Amino acid sequence: MIGIVDYGLGNLTSVAGAVAKSGFEPVVTSDGARLEAADKLILPGVGAFPDGMANLAERGLIDILDDLVIKRRKPILGICLGFQLLGLSSAEFGDTAGLGWIDAPVTRLQPEDQSLRVPHVGWNDLSQTAPDCVLLDGIDDGALFYFVHSYRMETPPDGSQVGTCDYGGAFTAAVQKGNVFGTQFHPEKSQQAGLTLLQNYLEKA
Amino acid sequence: MLRNRLITVLTFNGGTLFRTKLFEPDYRYTHNFVDSWSVDEIVMLDVTRDPGADKSAFYDVVTQFAKECFVPLAVGGGIRNMDDVRAMMAAGGDKVVVNSGAVERPEFISEIAAAYGRQCVVLSVDARKSETLDGGYEVFSHFATQPTGKTPAEWAAEGETLGAGEIMITSVERDGSLQGYDIPLCRQVSDAVTLPVLGMAGAGNWKHFVEGVEQGGLSAVCTQNIYHFTETSIASAKKFMEKKGIPVRL
Repeated sequence: MIGIVDYGLGNLTSVAGAVAKSGFEPVVTSDGARLEAADKLILPGVGAFPDGMANLAERGLIDILDDLVIKRRKPILGICLGFQLLGLSSAEFGDTAGLGWIDAPVTRLQPEDQSLRVPHVGWNDLSQTAPDCVLLDGIDDGALFYFVHSYRMETPPDGSQVGTCDYGGAFTAAVQKGNVFGTQFHPEKSQQAGLTLLQNYLEKA
Repeated sequence: MLRNRLITVLTFNGGTLFRTKLFEPDYRYTHNFVDSWSVDEIVMLDVTRDPGADKSAFYDVVTQFAKECFVPLAVGGGIRNMDDVRAMMAAGGDKVVVNSGAVERPEFISEIAAAYGRQCVVLSVDARKSETLDGGYEVFSHFATQPTGKTPAEWAAEGETLGAGEIMITSVERDGSLQGYDIPLCRQVSDAVTLPVLGMAGAGNWKHFVEGVEQGGLSAVCTQNIYHFTETSIASAKKFMEKKGIPVRL
């Protein structure tokens, strides 16, 4: 059973659909006991960072996730906003502290080429910087994934970056630090490559 | 490198898939022809006119569709308040498309952006030719029946300031015409914002997609004329675009 963390934001339906398509049972919940019973967790996300943290706090999920993920090493995959929430903080709508599991802040995407439009929306290449990460098994270097974001995580100094994407400069697009995984792109919306990555997480992480 | 997108727009009338011409339901489809493997993104719009109509038929269609849709799905039509937004997102939408609701109450754009993020808000702008306004176009709302007095460039720029993440520009006159996108209209809007702009209405052949990107400044080209876009045709259209030097996802 895969626990999809429900914090009142995000494309939970899409993520649950992709997990079911991969042959696993998704449970969308904010209940600590049900998340504890799950084999793995997914922290999805479409939304604004301050709302994301506030909603996690309101549901008591910050302590629950800290216990399950950091103390008890349950695997978690953060997607898009869920990935950014893994970081130290975000500058979106002010300055908000994140979960702090990945040692990097989230700041506004500022392409060097001024003609590039923000948000960064669409299909772009994932360059694998740590191809041995289980998430990337069977996925070609440069495979296309779907991105939609205006903020991006700065390069973590702890070596947790496993993939980058270029949009007027390279930014961190995927991370792994032990049992903590994250992707800036949406694997559940990235066709075959995305479903393969999700399958890798569900089966091998 | 970021790829230009080819987006399929599906319009529904009372939960049934229709093609539109000049903003009227025109042709009813009996099958869903969308090649969900080659298309980059899908937009589903409820174009049911009756404001009191039960929306559940549309929500049901979206819910069913979303289950097997592994590309981004934007949904819209008749969205007026946050309850509508939540219902569309719960049905499986990744983004919402707002049009008349934002014209009536522009701050609605900001409310959605604050709750779901800017990238969740697609501002749909319907434009008709104008004899009087600068630039020669005027924004119309409510199924293109009500003039707003704004130019598409003004309204798109205002939408960006308010928190929209993408602009979808539609030429009312070109809807169903197969004559190509209204390039000056697309260009005015893409020059007015730094957001990605999606062009809609008029695509009749693959050259029109290339024109839309190269001359119109579009990040994404939309087509709802799925009658001509069965099975392999989206893939073929993209091969054509790539040959013309436009980066696409093959």
